[in-house]
Amino acid sequence: MRFSPKGKRERRLVVELTSMVDIVFLLIIFFMVTSDFARDARAEVDLPLLQGERAEQSEEAGLFINIDAEGNIILSTSESPVTVEQLADRLRKLVIQETTPKVTVRADRNASIIRFNEVIRALNESGVSSARIATEVPR
Amino acid sequence: MRFSMRQHRGGNRLIMNMTSMIDVTFLLLVYFMVSTVLASPEDRLTPTIRTQDESASGSNADFQPQIVDVLMVGGKPTYRLGQIDMTSVADLKARLSGLPVELGVFIRGGEGVSVGFTMAAIQAARDAGFDQVTYVPLD
Repeated sequence: MRFSPKGKRERRLVVELTSMVDIVFLLIIFFMVTSDFARDARAEVDLPLLQGERAEQSEEAGLFINIDAEGNIILSTSESPVTVEQLADRLRKLVIQETTPKVTVRADRNASIIRFNEVIRALNESGVSSARIATEVPR
Repeated sequence: MRFSMRQHRGGNRLIMNMTSMIDVTFLLLVYFMVSTVLASPEDRLTPTIRTQDESASGSNADFQPQIVDVLMVGGKPTYRLGQIDMTSVADLKARLSGLPVELGVFIRGGEGVSVGFTMAAIQAARDAGFDQVTYVPLD
């Protein structure tokens, strides 16, 4: 039998990590759920502050056409803006690939309606009869 | 003299080394915190798209189409329904609520107005109970 001498007793600090690990996992889950991995397709624009149709958001995202306040047409934040003609080409290819392509127009609320109308005409001429127009739900 | 609890109770206490797991967990947490952008909730409006040529082809129909023109009148963005001009979306919604919804409504966006002001007309039509809302870009 081994007795530990009183002066040299080994003290081991045990930190209870269970609660902290619980909280950290909860935080990870929160950030994973709220992360938007499709941000590349969504440029920073001030969408019209409207309730929209209160539709469920579980549908396929499709093609995003962003129109910023200056009237630039942006298909991807990692690419440079495109012209209306380039957009029309892209849409024609999309219609060939998919019979009913899903298209979302994300136009800045301060953008001129002229550029928006050009995009709408390009959609119509390419055979897209309906488009989703993104709105920002007012808080 | 007091012996250790483990020996006293005769049970084995399993001590897991959680250091590596916590390292990885914190790395994940930091990654998600840095990469997450909390985007505002978005919704959408889904009007049918028609060009002026297409909408004109239906003018021989038996019914008078209900049209809201969004245009600049005297330097002010205005909604025009028949002969009535309105600058407020609430007024437009009130007027639209008195119209038969089964005929649908056409929203025509013209030069000079903003996207936000025009989309508010589509929202007003939806709020007034119209299922068939058609957007026509004006030249």
